[in-house]
Amino acid sequence: MESTPTLPIPISYVSGRYLLFSIDAVTYLRREHNICGVLIGTLPQIPQQNVFLGLPLELMPEEARVLVDKGVACIVDEAKAHDGMRSLLEEDRRQYLRDLESQGQLATRILADRKDQLREQSLKEIDEKKAKGLAAKAAKAAQAAADAQIAASSAPASTEKDESSSIFAAEDEMSSLSRTTGTSTPAPQQTMGITPTTSYPPLPHPVSSSGQYLPKPKVPLSYPLFAHLHSRGYFLSPGLRFGCQYVAYPGDPLRFHSHFVVVSAEWDQEMDLMDIVNGGRLGTGVKKGFLLGGPQKRRDEVESEADRIETVRTFSIEWAGM
Amino acid sequence: MTTQQTQLPSLEPSALTKLIESASASGNPLAATTIQILHNLQHQHLWTSLEIHDISTDSIASDAPPTLISGIPPHRIYTHPDEQLYMLEKGIAEDDLRPERLFVIPTAQGQTWSLRRMAAAFDSLAAIEESSVSEEAMSTSESVDSEKAKKLDEYYEKKEMAKETKEWGTRRALLAMTNRGMGGEGTVVYYVVQEGEVKPRQN
Amino acid sequence: MADADEDAVRGTTVEATQIEVDLSDETQDFRLLNHLNFLTDTSSSSLPRRGEKDFEPNPTEFQADVLSASRQAMHNALAHPRLHNPKNQVIAIYAPEGPPPPPPVPPGQDPGKTSGRGASVSPDACVYVPSPKGQYFKNMGQADRKGVIWLLPEEALYLLERGSLDIRWPTSITGGTVEEGSEEEELSIPMSLQAAYACFIGRGGLTLERFTVFSSLKRIGYAISRAPGWDDSSSVEDSADEDSRNAYTQPVTRGAGLAGILGSIFNWINDPKSTSSTAAGPVIGYGIHRNYSDIYKKLAQIPWHDPTTLPTRNPLSTKPPYRVILHVFKPSTFIKKSALPPPDFRIAVINTREATTIPTLPELSALLESTPLDPPKGEKMDRQMYLRLRHGYRNVILAVVDQGVTSFLRVADVAFGRERLYESVGGSLGPKKAGNFRKKKR
Repeated sequence: MESTPTLPIPISYVSGRYLLFSIDAVTYLRREHNICGVLIGTLPQIPQQNVFLGLPLELMPEEARVLVDKGVACIVDEAKAHDGMRSLLEEDRRQYLRDLESQGQLATRILADRKDQLREQSLKEIDEKKAKGLAAKAAKAAQAAADAQIAASSAPASTEKDESSSIFAAEDEMSSLSRTTGTSTPAPQQTMGITPTTSYPPLPHPVSSSGQYLPKPKVPLSYPLFAHLHSRGYFLSPGLRFGCQYVAYPGDPLRFHSHFVVVSAEWDQEMDLMDIVNGGRLGTGVKKGFLLGGPQKRRDEVESEADRIETVRTFSIEWAGM
Repeated sequence: MTTQQTQLPSLEPSALTKLIESASASGNPLAATTIQILHNLQHQHLWTSLEIHDISTDSIASDAPPTLISGIPPHRIYTHPDEQLYMLEKGIAEDDLRPERLFVIPTAQGQTWSLRRMAAAFDSLAAIEESSVSEEAMSTSESVDSEKAKKLDEYYEKKEMAKETKEWGTRRALLAMTNRGMGGEGTVVYYVVQEGEVKPRQN
Repeated sequence: MADADEDAVRGTTVEATQIEVDLSDETQDFRLLNHLNFLTDTSSSSLPRRGEKDFEPNPTEFQADVLSASRQAMHNALAHPRLHNPKNQVIAIYAPEGPPPPPPVPPGQDPGKTSGRGASVSPDACVYVPSPKGQYFKNMGQADRKGVIWLLPEEALYLLERGSLDIRWPTSITGGTVEEGSEEEELSIPMSLQAAYACFIGRGGLTLERFTVFSSLKRIGYAISRAPGWDDSSSVEDSADEDSRNAYTQPVTRGAGLAGILGSIFNWINDPKSTSSTAAGPVIGYGIHRNYSDIYKKLAQIPWHDPTTLPTRNPLSTKPPYRVILHVFKPSTFIKKSALPPPDFRIAVINTREATTIPTLPELSALLESTPLDPPKGEKMDRQMYLRLRHGYRNVILAVVDQGVTSFLRVADVAFGRERLYESVGGSLGPKKAGNFRKKKR
């Protein structure tokens, strides 16, 4: 039942950063590839808080690189891709607007239904009979909406045209049904406006079109350690909160506490022993280990970053308590 | 400070200073660190059977500190969380277990350090451990009842396996650091270092 | 995911039918349709609740179930659509070329009702709202002569992201003929969240880090304006104030600096019997000391940093990223867009991937010097020394952004030398004569 988006997943490169806008891509990468990123957007349903954030998801260059190296994702220059807005065919443009409109109508409709339902619930306690009548009505309406969706989903969605026409059909069906059921049909001017999350459609999916991807993301020297830990199943997130480079979780951070504060070093990079004391003490103070590691090869000793990943050695450090 | 005795003519050198003076006549500046840490283990932390392992001749360890220290602490310093869970389930207390030799990497604040040095120290540690196997195997306590003895046998068997699977942690050592700068009052701090990703203890 | 949708759908009016929908063949549209079901159902559109976290994964089904439930809740929350009820829909139009030439105000619009006529619009503005309504333009946007509100990219993106603004592509980009009798926006294509990021981030100096700081403060109610230092390339030469063009000024110290010592020697020559002799004799000199304060004053030989004597530096003579780029106002501060009050907070935004070390003293000093003197004041500060020390005399907030994770650090210039502990002997650290602080009020 869990969906897999079309691969490779396009990662939006926006002004030097890596972003994801597709909820399916976000869920899939988290579930299948242990990539969490950081949500940075405002949730429209609860916009006045900073605890729970929404799309887009910002990926570290390391995360984007791991995914590109695995062939799971590719990097798309999003500003350039949106130049495609200039070359939309008139027909596609109109079609897209009709699709949005039908979605808006359905949204309006569902909201109205929900309102009915809520009213029904509140009336229930007062008047059982009346509530029953409304419920029957609501069920009828629901059946209508369902039929519409089945019609839409059963239509072949292989090409954009087919897909949009099926939606269009759904809309037709819905509006006719609403007439027959006799519920208050929303007037056209009351249709909900929609701000879509992604631009695909109306833009053609970047993977199916031209395939002009940007080169692999440039990564910091700590990338081999990142990739090493990722390959061993750890979920990694930015380390700012603990004053380190990464925080490593043994499972999805939604459910698990992190195990390590991670710092990377080059093999011969001189370090102050005090840094080990700092890291060890900090980690132990928050019930985590301090993980220090890095590749044994320098960048100029190997052909690619991938060759460094295999040479990573790590050390886990905790305060001895003596 | 401890070695700059001549600058403090009015003060009698401490016992530790004298010890270091006499022992580090070799001229190796790091020897003083080793002696100081050995002294700290022996007298502050009451370790026994202390030994100094010269690893400076190992070609593999040219970057490592020239010596390692090993000894037996009065109490266990480190128990892996899964090992702890096993012991809890089997009703084994730490005191039931025979003492274990633990290795210490002596360092001093201000000394240059790197991943290469850390790795070199661990590599020499591996070499030493392999050459001195099962030194402790004979020292099993006799006073336990047979049921406990059986449990302990199971434990030691499991421990041998865990060494292979690394489920109870990996090769480990204490990284000891003395402070030198800022007056160097002789504090030594100890950190447990294990190779690879070993999950943290929860207490 | 499909399970999530279905579970959430059960119990709603459309339950019987949604289950039949094959969600594995998802497209953008179907997803949206599905999630419309959660619009007003608070139980399913509520936030993901984590509960207690575990230490490590174990192979139990229970743990797997809890994890998948958490993920589903997250998925549902993230899939919530941005809808605009026609009753309060505000439509804006993207103007890639920026101001000034907005299309004429549509007829039927009253151009006279907006204030700020003739106010200058920032050249970085790139979205205009032909008929502004609602609360958001009280402290965002700038009105042009025709009463059209122009939004900076961060303002436009923030409003779109929170679902409060319907931004449209201009027909100059997307094409399309205006039909008879229809208004332009009805044929224009709504800008997606993705399009808005692609078009607005990177525009007019707006980095993703700056935007995340901006929006995280906007979300919790602060009003924000760009500070003069927003433009990284702007320097002192661009501004009229040339006083503080010099680079990092040496910290001014008070107490017995060189001048102080020379002064005491001079005093000693004039009056060898005075107690201020330090050149030959005890530090505090010979003579009779009638109280400890005199003695302590004489003992204050070590120079100390006095932030109140620093010249205030031009904000543009600082070096990015250690430069104030945002002025922030508390929600309670009354904002008049045409005449902004002094900000409550000044913020510099730092990207950890570009500035990997902590700032140097010259960088931090220059940054603090570029903020106005803000001495501790108020009855509470007068009474409590630690509050004074914490507040400092100049302050700035560093917003440190690491790949989307933000930490706010307040940095203040502390004047330990101004706190004469010996004057409060016996009087604890509490109440204290505070006259000299009151005087320093700006």
